[in-house]
Amino acid sequence: MIRFIFDLDGTVSAEETLPLIASHFRIEEEIAVLTRETIAGNIPFTDSFIKRVHILSRLPVPEVRELLAGVRLFSGVLDFLANNSENCVIATGNLDCWAQGLLNRTGIRSYTSSALVRDDRVQKITKILRKEDVVKQYKAQGDTVVFIGEGNNDMEAMRLADVSIASALVHTPANSVLSITDYLVFEEDSLCRLLNQLS
Amino acid sequence: MSLTQSVVLSCAGIGSRLGLAQTKALVQIMGKSIIGWQMEIFAEVEDLRIVVGYQAMEVVREVREYRNDAIFVYNHDYFHTKTGRSYLLGGRHGNELAVAWDGDLLVHPDDARRLLSMRREYVAYTEPTSDEPIFVDVDAAGNVVSFSDKEGGYEWSGPCCVRKDRLQERGVDVYHMLEPLLPLPGVKIRAQDIDTYDDYKRAENFIRSW
Repeated sequence: MIRFIFDLDGTVSAEETLPLIASHFRIEEEIAVLTRETIAGNIPFTDSFIKRVHILSRLPVPEVRELLAGVRLFSGVLDFLANNSENCVIATGNLDCWAQGLLNRTGIRSYTSSALVRDDRVQKITKILRKEDVVKQYKAQGDTVVFIGEGNNDMEAMRLADVSIASALVHTPANSVLSITDYLVFEEDSLCRLLNQLS
Repeated sequence: MSLTQSVVLSCAGIGSRLGLAQTKALVQIMGKSIIGWQMEIFAEVEDLRIVVGYQAMEVVREVREYRNDAIFVYNHDYFHTKTGRSYLLGGRHGNELAVAWDGDLLVHPDDARRLLSMRREYVAYTEPTSDEPIFVDVDAAGNVVSFSDKEGGYEWSGPCCVRKDRLQERGVDVYHMLEPLLPLPGVKIRAQDIDTYDDYKRAENFIRSW
């Protein structure tokens, strides 16, 4: 069967979650420096993720979860997910404790990073999702995998997928993604048209 | 019900014969890029798939000056492949009919409209004009029956339209893929491709004639 694996930020969600959290809790500068250094390639993704979680770990988990639960989602993509729920999953590096409310709104299975939460604070990261492992898992069971993403941490998963789609719906995809992608789309309608052609 | 159609515009090449180290889609003719002229032709095409390779992001930027809803298809191996691979990549996941259109081919707008309104397979050809043409022979019923680099009544110019499920990689150019599918209905058009500097000058006159 065909399996669509969606990144969350900028693919299903119409706004990026990290800047939203940063703005809400007024830690824009800290996050902006980290994001800039990560995009520039000066900090590897895993290091960046650990530093990011460290910065955000002092924030109350229920408040972050509630904030993210209100993130705007692409309605056309949501329709596609609803109509093809058996074939679709989401793979996001976000921690489950933060993103669960948002992911529940999509109505489909999701793969996330996870953490130990104590007293409403993230205490320890217990798993960092490697999206390429999700691709490998579905390919191993014989699925034809389509991966839709845009960030550096999507690149390896997109490279391993049978078909990869770079989503520029929110911002231009990472150069690493553009160096391996099969498709690039800028509008939600174009993405949905392509998804329907593939399904 | 008529068949659904995707237009695959191949803009992945290096344009080496033109000697500008610039992909031909970006070459300016009478104040507008070649792909800009193409975008006017394809204004009504819903599923436009633009195959990019050399200078991909520059082509993407130029297309977005005209429309934002094209699907960009990457031919990362553009240096080692030609239009056949781009057609295959562009058409493989598209609609039932895949139209192959070279990014450096300017088709008279009246003829382009006629081609784009067809919902069936065809091969378009012109009167011979190029220095090194690929010829086609057309039978009495109007079908293209052969391609040849030696002789023939007309010149293979593209575009062509084939059912997606009949596309198979064969040879390097689009016409190699068409050969096993012949005969295919022929359509005579007015067109100018841009391979050399002389072609470029001819293209200006061609556009003025519209």
